[in-house]
Amino acid sequence: MGVMRMGYAHVKVTDMTEAKNHYNGTMGLYETHSDVTPDGAKRVFYKGWDEWDHHSVVLEEGGVGVVKYGWKVEHEADIDDIEAKARTFGLTVERMSKGDNPEIGDGIRFVTPSEHVFEVYHQATAVGTEVGTHNPEVFPRHLVGIGVPALDHSLITTGDVGTMERMLSDVFGFYATERVQTSLDDDHECVGTWMTSNNQIHQMAVIGGPQGKLHHFAFRLEDWNSVGRAADLMTMDDVPIDIGPTRHGITRGQTVYFFDPSGNRNEVFAGGYLAFPDRPTNVWTVDQLGKGIFYHDRELNERFTTVLT
Amino acid sequence: MPTLSIPALDEVVYLEPGETVLSGLYKAGFSYTVGCRRGGCGICKLDVIEGSFSYERPVADTVISTDERTDGTCLSCRAIPESNITIQMREYEVRLVNPLLRQINEKARLRAEALAAAPDTPTTPDAGAGDD
Ligand code: FES
Ligand SMILES: [Fe+2]
Repeated sequence: MGVMRMGYAHVKVTDMTEAKNHYNGTMGLYETHSDVTPDGAKRVFYKGWDEWDHHSVVLEEGGVGVVKYGWKVEHEADIDDIEAKARTFGLTVERMSKGDNPEIGDGIRFVTPSEHVFEVYHQATAVGTEVGTHNPEVFPRHLVGIGVPALDHSLITTGDVGTMERMLSDVFGFYATERVQTSLDDDHECVGTWMTSNNQIHQMAVIGGPQGKLHHFAFRLEDWNSVGRAADLMTMDDVPIDIGPTRHGITRGQTVYFFDPSGNRNEVFAGGYLAFPDRPTNVWTVDQLGKGIFYHDRELNERFTTVLT
Repeated sequence: MPTLSIPALDEVVYLEPGETVLSGLYKAGFSYTVGCRRGGCGICKLDVIEGSFSYERPVADTVISTDERTDGTCLSCRAIPESNITIQMREYEVRLVNPLLRQINEKARLRAEALAAAPDTPTTPDAGAGDD
């Protein structure tokens, strides 16, 4: 089936101590590894309690924004397939070797038309979920903070959303579940797209903006209640909340946007309807973008399109 | 006693020692466009045209260039005044959104000014409680 999910988001943070307090202490991620890069940057690797691969979030000290995303494919052969499609699309693809990323196998790496780095891999060291697979409990007894189960999706910006949508479709086999367009006419411009490869409502969303920037990356939660509880914990831990708890019209997801201690935007996201490739794509016109993004406020806050890392 | 002057509004805001520019302005009832509040996005930039400040917590190099480190550019969510400062906004002016807080801040500033003018007066913990 090709790409199964966003396997990891690798982001930069300005201060590792503060970042660890946030990603471990508030978000409740489990640290699985830490090291220092050859050029001296500290890194910490994390997974959520319901994830089985070695890591899903990598923090690297020095700056802000996203370093790269890892995409996990179902079969080893999917890597070659995606490599061929990427070359056909006109992208420059390089091979990456087992160990380039700790606990991640061979794969490929390329820079997208949006100037983000994507890696595609099949093998990751399995460490297991925190509840195991043998008559498992429904969640770990001693979660820390919000206790997010897993990484969910990300939203990035680019000067040319249409090309990025085409790339995700041609190279990854993604389809759009929702789009924002300048109009319903044939000559419309696409200013936002929410894409996936499977039933997950979106794995990657793309909106217009500067090249190579991060809008947010999101963690999955179960339902409204857990979104509300997450927001309570953010207040207790003095996490700056951008907006929420509220709902997105687009995806119908329930959400809080907030910032990590370096200023990278995070999200907790619950719900979202089941996606199917044959379901007609929802289309939003830009005049209704406010309602699409924040279903209750029906207005974009001034930060939505301007605050990026 | 750091104060923050906004000539465009003819306002002088009182800041607690160690308080950031952003926090001081919001606590005094003013608002303007801010984002991450953590020195990472650069949206809260304004210009300090008089006085000095420093960053005691990390700010991202990508949002503040080497030149901006010395030309008065101020990431207001992280900047802590080292003296009285005077600011100038860039795109949008600071706007008063909470007159009550402004009034409270004004009293705090006047109290602090009075205290500073009479340095021999011993400071009492409840100094100024209702001295308007
Ligand atoms: S609000 Fe983001 S740098 Fe100040
Ligand atoms: Fe999101």
